[in-house]
Amino acid sequence: MGRYVARRLLQAIPLLFIISVILFVLMQNIGDPLATMGGRRPTRSADRERLKRQLGLDKPVLVQYLYWLIGNDWTRIDMDGDGVAETQGQRKGILRGDFGTSLKKRQSALSLIGERLPNTLLLMGAYELVVLVGALAVGIYSAVRQYSLFDHLVTGLSFILYSMPIFFIGLLSVTIFAVYFKRWGLPYLPPNGVFRAEFGKTTSEVVWHMVLPVMSLSLISLAGYSRFMRSSMLEVLGQDYIRTAKSKGLERRYILLAHALKNASLPIVTIVGLDLPSLLGGALVTERIFGWPGMGRLFFDSVSDADTPVVMAILMIIAVAVILFQILTDITYAWLDPRIRYE
Amino acid sequence: MKKRRFYTLSSVAVVALLLLTACGPTPVPTQPPQPTTAAGPTQPPKPTDTPVPAKPTDTPVPAKPKVATFIWTQEFDTLNPLYTNMWFSTTTFELWQCAAWLFDDKAQPFPSLVTELPSVANGGISADGRVITLKLRDDLVWSDGTPLTSEDFKFTYEMTVNPANAVASTYPMDQLEKVETPDPRTVIMTFKEPFAPWLSMWRGILPAHILRPVFEAEGNLDQADWNKNPTVGCGPYVFKEWESGSFARFVANDNYWLGRPKIDEIFFRFVPDDASQVAALKAGDGDLGTFLAYSDMPALQAVGVEIIPAFSGYNEGIYFGMGEKHHLALKELNVRKAIALAIDRASLCKDLLLGMTAPATTDWDGTIWNDPALQPWPYDPEQAKALLDEAGWKDTNGDGVRDKDGVELVLKYGTTTREIRRDTQAVIQQQLAAVGIKVELLNYEADLFFSGYAEGGPAAKGELDLFEYSTVFNFPDPDSADWLCSEIPSDENPTGTNWQANCDETLDGLFQLQRTQVDPTERQKTFHQITRHIFENVYWLGLWQDPDTWAVGKRLKNVKISGATPFYNIMEWDLVP
Repeated sequence: MGRYVARRLLQAIPLLFIISVILFVLMQNIGDPLATMGGRRPTRSADRERLKRQLGLDKPVLVQYLYWLIGNDWTRIDMDGDGVAETQGQRKGILRGDFGTSLKKRQSALSLIGERLPNTLLLMGAYELVVLVGALAVGIYSAVRQYSLFDHLVTGLSFILYSMPIFFIGLLSVTIFAVYFKRWGLPYLPPNGVFRAEFGKTTSEVVWHMVLPVMSLSLISLAGYSRFMRSSMLEVLGQDYIRTAKSKGLERRYILLAHALKNASLPIVTIVGLDLPSLLGGALVTERIFGWPGMGRLFFDSVSDADTPVVMAILMIIAVAVILFQILTDITYAWLDPRIRYE
Repeated sequence: MKKRRFYTLSSVAVVALLLLTACGPTPVPTQPPQPTTAAGPTQPPKPTDTPVPAKPTDTPVPAKPKVATFIWTQEFDTLNPLYTNMWFSTTTFELWQCAAWLFDDKAQPFPSLVTELPSVANGGISADGRVITLKLRDDLVWSDGTPLTSEDFKFTYEMTVNPANAVASTYPMDQLEKVETPDPRTVIMTFKEPFAPWLSMWRGILPAHILRPVFEAEGNLDQADWNKNPTVGCGPYVFKEWESGSFARFVANDNYWLGRPKIDEIFFRFVPDDASQVAALKAGDGDLGTFLAYSDMPALQAVGVEIIPAFSGYNEGIYFGMGEKHHLALKELNVRKAIALAIDRASLCKDLLLGMTAPATTDWDGTIWNDPALQPWPYDPEQAKALLDEAGWKDTNGDGVRDKDGVELVLKYGTTTREIRRDTQAVIQQQLAAVGIKVELLNYEADLFFSGYAEGGPAAKGELDLFEYSTVFNFPDPDSADWLCSEIPSDENPTGTNWQANCDETLDGLFQLQRTQVDPTERQKTFHQITRHIFENVYWLGLWQDPDTWAVGKRLKNVKISGATPFYNIMEWDLVP
């Protein structure tokens, strides 16, 4: 197992390099970061030329990539436009831990990510927990009570919720639980933000503000996950060893949790493993609707502004996360199913 | 038994849901809706020297802090005035920063840091217009108690033009030859040439005592901590906190020379989604919002939210391409007049914009710079047809589209993907078709549409015969470079902004002249000539006046909004429960 993990990690290095090249080239065609620096009016041509030079955007793409990778502190650059490279570069490059500086905010890309990541982990962690617990419970019960009224209701609801776009559910929940509930004099939920100014950023305020975004996110995924769990459980419950366990007189709950669930969880592990990197990426639409200050919004805003350093930082972090979580998924597989062994 | 269990579980779920919604923190009580009066359109301002406002008596600090929540759909990029032109950042300057002068809701300037606005009459502007002298008040202090002096002005200028700083724009500071400070209350600006738009300067002063050490240590201010945490300011509020993507707080400045504001704290919440912003305003979760869609306004007004339009120089209009790449018909005045007469702009404003705005005459509509005698082109499709006939554009082949010398009158009409613009295009396409002009509609994402010639922007490259948008150069200053012959973009001049490729020597001369006229009265006369010339030649066709729309919640009182310096009277704002 150790050799397997080490081999996977080594394979990841050239993979990450290729990913970085592709992403960097794509970012050059995503927009002009200088276009919006004039505010509500087009950027002045003189300012455009100066900023291009000062921000290193006048260099060829390959040179820009090289500076991004290994930095430019080993060379001098022309900051004042007189044709003479007089200023020592200050960038160290991503290989030395310098993810670059945001073109728009003039702040380290890593610090920007660091400010948003805890919020994303909080939101997505709560969402993942709700979905897993809910999907397990609903999926198992639906499988055990196949074709019951509950099963039919859950099935129908799953299809409805799964087909709904997140922005619809999000805005609907804000309209009902925040606007109309308040208008009707009922207890209501806050429409957006992390806390209300009058109450301060307390735990109860943050949890209260998480209810609507987590609920909106969870409903769709819960629908999908519970269907997976249900069909997986049904398949396992039809196996011979389950019949044998029943004929041995074992308690039903023990059969379900000790024998059936472990095998039925394997597909869920795969899906959760693929989903885990999204804990870092955030939920773009949900964060926009509910004003949640997460990575999804940071990514979207940075792409809109063609802020290459921040976008590259986020994407590289997610790429690393995908690789690591895939390795973790494989290890979990081996733990769940002793028949699986890696060479 | 199974049914009983199901009903039991369902009841438990419903009760749990009700308990969940009931168990939150106590909501803030709100007032019942109050009748609102919609603010009328701003009157054209007149340039006057307003006396410096007297210092009001200090108001006692209330027991429970008054906190106003502003909903911002975009987060600040930075708070350093040198590094941002972003509206959502610069608008906060009236809270925590300071300016030499401010502009009221009529776009009329009045002194803030200076004792009086400089003019030729009071000796503040030299006879040749190159030297402008500012006299500062004697009671100015930063929020940490350090005196604010002319040295801070000079430092601001030096940092703006220093090539080590990658500032957002060096304009208009780069028009200065030098800045001198003979004493702590005097700033003498010497321009390279007479510079009429000087009122656009000095919105945001840097604290030299905080940032000079940073510059000397780091070599630039690009990543100074103060850019994100400007804990020393000079406005009625002081920056307190900014959490990325979430909120920012500004608290009342006890050292402000005009006294303490009535509202104790301004809390900005960043909510990027427009629908969520509206929901927050409706629910009373926000006290102020902006850039609302016209379609959202009636619902907000119904719950007692006041809508205040603040003219900020934007007028939506269509530019007529008149270069070699554009349709040759547009070079004919009769064709342009016909297009103007064929479009029913009054109905556009009534139907698409719910009657909340009016047609614009020129790009300077709503300001003192517009010739007041100008009236919008009437809707007269029959006259439009007559003009086209007179110009020789007739439908000779019976396909419904006019032609001349084998050339069909088919125009490419482009704009961004904004919904209101798409709707406008559809209406205009129908109305022009009715007079025999065929229009092909094209839409682009904003960043592509507004790209320059070198970046392949369709308007800049001459790919659009008609292109629609609204823009402003330096409001409230009327100057614009977009009509200069030297600004026509080409391979040799890829940064040119005269995308309509219109080289009118008379117009070019007038624009060159107004830049040197420091006397506002003379400059106004020149601009009246400019606007009349553009209007009569139909170089630009106004569709509607495009004010910024502000939604003010029921709790906020005494609110006035300026299009140039929006929160100019924030000292008078109050919050009632």
